[in-house]
Amino acid sequence: MPHADAGLARSRALRLAWPIGVAVVGVVAGYLLSIGLSGYFVFLAVSAVTAAIAILGLGIVTGSAGMIALCQLTFAAVGAWVVSLFNVLEVPGGFVVWLIAGGLAAGVVGILVGLPALRLRGVNLAVVTLGFAAAFDVTLLQIQFPGSKDGIPVLRPEGFSTDRGYFFFSIIVLAVCGLVVFWLQRGRWGSSWKAVAFSERGTASVGQSVQQAKLTAFAVSAALGGISGGLLAGQVQLPFASSFTPLQSLALYVLAVMSGAYLIDMAIFGGILWVLVPELLKRWGVPQDWGFVIFGALGVQALTSGTNLGQGIRNLWWKRADRRAAAAREAAKADAAAHPAVVEPPVEASVPTLPTSAPRPASGEPALSVTGLTVRFGALKALDEVSLEVPAGSVMGLIGPNGAGKSTFVDAISGFLPQASGAVRLGGTTLGRMSPTKRARLGLRRTFQQDRVPPALTVDAYVRFVARRRVTAEEVAEVLDFFGCPPARTRLAGVDVGTRRLVEVAANVLARPRVLLLDEPAAGLSHEEHLELGARLREVPARYGMAIVLIEHDLDLVRTVCSTLTVLDFGRVLASGPQDEVLADPAVIKAYMGETEML
Amino acid sequence: MLQGALAGLAAGGLYAVLAVCLTLMSRLVRVVNFSQAATGMFGGFVAVWLVTETGLPIWLGSVLGVLLAGVLSGVIGWIAATWLSEADTTTRSAMTVGPLLLLISLSFILFGNKPQPFASIISGPAFTLGGVVISQVTLVTVSLAIVVAVAVRILLTRTAIGTRLRALSERPTTAELLGIPSKPLSIAVWVVTGVISAIAIVVVAPTQSNDAISLAMLIVPAAAAALLGGFKRLDLAVVGGLVLGVLSGLVAQIDEVALIRNFLPFLFIVVLLLWTQRKEVWDAAR
Amino acid sequence: MSALIIDDVAVSRGAGPVIQGVSFTLEQGRVTALVGPNGAGKTSLLDGISGVAPISAGTIRLDGTPIERLSRVARAKQGIVHIEQGRAVFPSLTVRENLSLTARTPAEVDAALARFPELEKRIDAPTALLSGGEQQMVVLARAFAARPRFLLIDEMSLGLAPVVFMRLLPIVSEIAEQGVGVLLVEQFTHLALGLASEALVVASGQVSFQGPAATLREDASLLHRAYLGGAPA
Repeated sequence: MPHADAGLARSRALRLAWPIGVAVVGVVAGYLLSIGLSGYFVFLAVSAVTAAIAILGLGIVTGSAGMIALCQLTFAAVGAWVVSLFNVLEVPGGFVVWLIAGGLAAGVVGILVGLPALRLRGVNLAVVTLGFAAAFDVTLLQIQFPGSKDGIPVLRPEGFSTDRGYFFFSIIVLAVCGLVVFWLQRGRWGSSWKAVAFSERGTASVGQSVQQAKLTAFAVSAALGGISGGLLAGQVQLPFASSFTPLQSLALYVLAVMSGAYLIDMAIFGGILWVLVPELLKRWGVPQDWGFVIFGALGVQALTSGTNLGQGIRNLWWKRADRRAAAAREAAKADAAAHPAVVEPPVEASVPTLPTSAPRPASGEPALSVTGLTVRFGALKALDEVSLEVPAGSVMGLIGPNGAGKSTFVDAISGFLPQASGAVRLGGTTLGRMSPTKRARLGLRRTFQQDRVPPALTVDAYVRFVARRRVTAEEVAEVLDFFGCPPARTRLAGVDVGTRRLVEVAANVLARPRVLLLDEPAAGLSHEEHLELGARLREVPARYGMAIVLIEHDLDLVRTVCSTLTVLDFGRVLASGPQDEVLADPAVIKAYMGETEML
Repeated sequence: MLQGALAGLAAGGLYAVLAVCLTLMSRLVRVVNFSQAATGMFGGFVAVWLVTETGLPIWLGSVLGVLLAGVLSGVIGWIAATWLSEADTTTRSAMTVGPLLLLISLSFILFGNKPQPFASIISGPAFTLGGVVISQVTLVTVSLAIVVAVAVRILLTRTAIGTRLRALSERPTTAELLGIPSKPLSIAVWVVTGVISAIAIVVVAPTQSNDAISLAMLIVPAAAAALLGGFKRLDLAVVGGLVLGVLSGLVAQIDEVALIRNFLPFLFIVVLLLWTQRKEVWDAAR
Repeated sequence: MSALIIDDVAVSRGAGPVIQGVSFTLEQGRVTALVGPNGAGKTSLLDGISGVAPISAGTIRLDGTPIERLSRVARAKQGIVHIEQGRAVFPSLTVRENLSLTARTPAEVDAALARFPELEKRIDAPTALLSGGEQQMVVLARAFAARPRFLLIDEMSLGLAPVVFMRLLPIVSEIAEQGVGVLLVEQFTHLALGLASEALVVASGQVSFQGPAATLREDASLLHRAYLGGAPA
């Protein structure tokens, strides 16, 4: 299909080109403003740009990655300090090099400050960063910026030394920062930030290190803070500690939260507000401290309602777009009904139906073997000496009454219960005390009973993030199609929980693990969808080459999909083996006196 | 040397009281209240204003200021209990950054950004120990910290209301399903900790740097102290506060390491975090 | 005699309704069994009735007064007590403290304990140290001491040995005989049906059977069909 390929290539080129286009338009607009605005406004505009870059950084750490960072202007001070120092030392390369060095230095400081707070959840990072901001503020007052005592002004870059020129320069820096953030947000790092904000377990279970995700978010954010500070040093030329107080960091945090700064346009809008509000107050003769009072109140409003300006506007926009798309689909459907000659796409033909025969157990060495797995929660033994083998290329069913330890089993195998004892081997590798991330990278994947699919991503970004390998658009489309998931460009936020978990299964299949553990993947689906999923799962080992462990309640489904079965009851293996033998076991029937007998 | 350490004890007592309040808040209403010291600061400033501008007696002005701090804290608690009752600790704590910013800025507008002329409620030496003078302020703050910690412990373990508070903190939904009114109880916790923090701040403020930022940022050493007890144990919070106070008193004596003094609470936090996170823990909820 | 009337109720989580179109009446002194496969929406329905989750459609009336907008605390005070899934004890609280949360007087604590002599010797132990069965007894005793008019019980058997569960079931009957309307969600279907006078089967978020429990007890194929979903039987 040469026509379709050309279309695809064009859309790819467009995807790559439009952010650059926007940046170029922004730079041109900045140039026009730099010659059009009055001198006073040019100065204010530079302040807005520096604030926008700092907020852009906060957008990553607080907006995307969901952490609280209260020292953004301290990182800015680090950047400004390095720029001043390089200026005094007359380091070769000029302002641009100093600015980059300032950003890097702030990034390193960010890593050092963030490191202690990364493994613990919650508000620890907030405590650490506030402590750092307070300490650095006092210290900065004592040591001052290099060159400030002797009054050595920071040299602006050549050709941009006038205020107007420097404003144009700052716009270019903003455009570059915006582009970098845009690509980072779209890439693997961005996905990992949004994933970690929603669920740390979900992040680790797809082979993404939680610490790395948090650290990159924090480092990039700090580096942007440093660049913002360096830019400010060039603007005022003699920076003072009073431009970088903890109070301003707090205000910047609040501003980032209420504007929704993980969206680049809203970060720029936040930068404008940062300058505009005090300026307006000044014109109206109101004390400028009221600005922070307003920010504080609006911040409480934003944090209590869980919404922000940018997301609110986008949601409205998306709702309209979705309605239009739905109307277009309806129209197309009506059209198709009116012209029945149109051939249906052949996709439907590939949808498998449930066969009546039981699948045959596969032979060969086990993909996963577990011996003596024991998990205790206090006095309770949730798993007691569980041993089983999952043959390669098979679907094993794990059944048992509620509370029998099935989910605990999956948690223990996937590494979320470090207190588990016993041996787990994946292929030829002993997993020992490996972290969940490592296990996932070795080819052991799992899904969750709860929804752990980050809603901030699109289906496409999520699937690629989970796959952890280079996949083509065709591969993505194929697997989504196979499992009956919505198309790749769909936003996960607009998809119901049952479908989200279906996407989770499809994405993990695309990752081509050795073993995939599915914890009740069909909960939340209708009965028909439930059966359809079962039929597809039956095909997965042959089609994608992996073994599956399936936790499932519907015994009819288990009967048709699983070649081997393991029954857990009170944390013990009641029976394990080929499914017809297991289901005929009187002990199993007795344990299942509840639902099984009836079904 | 000893004099320096003991001089830090007054501040240490203040840290300890605030740390106890923070721990209590974290345990009972699932929040790290960043505005814990700011509400006390604001109440204290209002007290100063009442005394200097309207000529109220010191004790009456102080009482009114402390009560105002309790009300302010209660309002923040009401916001948390009304709109963030189901939210996680991080979101609830993030919300308190707003009032922190607001209260500091408002105090700039109303009272300026200079230190306030706090009149001492208590002053003078209490007694002399081995040639070292212990001030009354030190005595009062340290005992306040211990008394509050012990009283809170008794309240939680011995009284019906304490049982209810513990039930609410362990399983809020289950407690509500049993008809335990979560909202009034949690707002009460906010008010009480607001009042206690304000009392400590009003007592110590005359002897400390007492501009709005310094007082509001007392939250940092207080959080460091609370972290020693993992935001759970009251006794360790008290110990943490006192140790931190004594350490800063010691460090202040040595000129070579004066810069470290600023970073002492920060380093305290970092070391504790590194210690507590030796082992990887997976949160059940996320 | 009061009644709790559930009328065309739906409960939504996230994108859409988890369970919808549910109508039935709980009467005091009777046990109604609510059964169905996992993920059918049973817990969500209980959450909707007790106020843990808001209902997205329909009304809930207690003695003719709509209560669906009341807080869960207010509903609890009206006598609707919801026992959540798992063992909903307060782990650091002792057995006595757990009971004192609902009992108004020490005598009521003793009255609740009288049904569970096993608990007497553990009365001052933190409930975290009790066995699963003992914890569930604490939960039942605590609910009993609250003197409910209606009791919603969600999967009491979860993680309990059948022997222990069999020990607890008769207590539910006794509680009902004292004039409490019980809604019993249970995975051990036939045990629940053996206890109940009325039954509801939900599958895929809808009621697929509604009627006397005896009908389901006698006709296994009817229950089977109801479990698989589809049109109401």
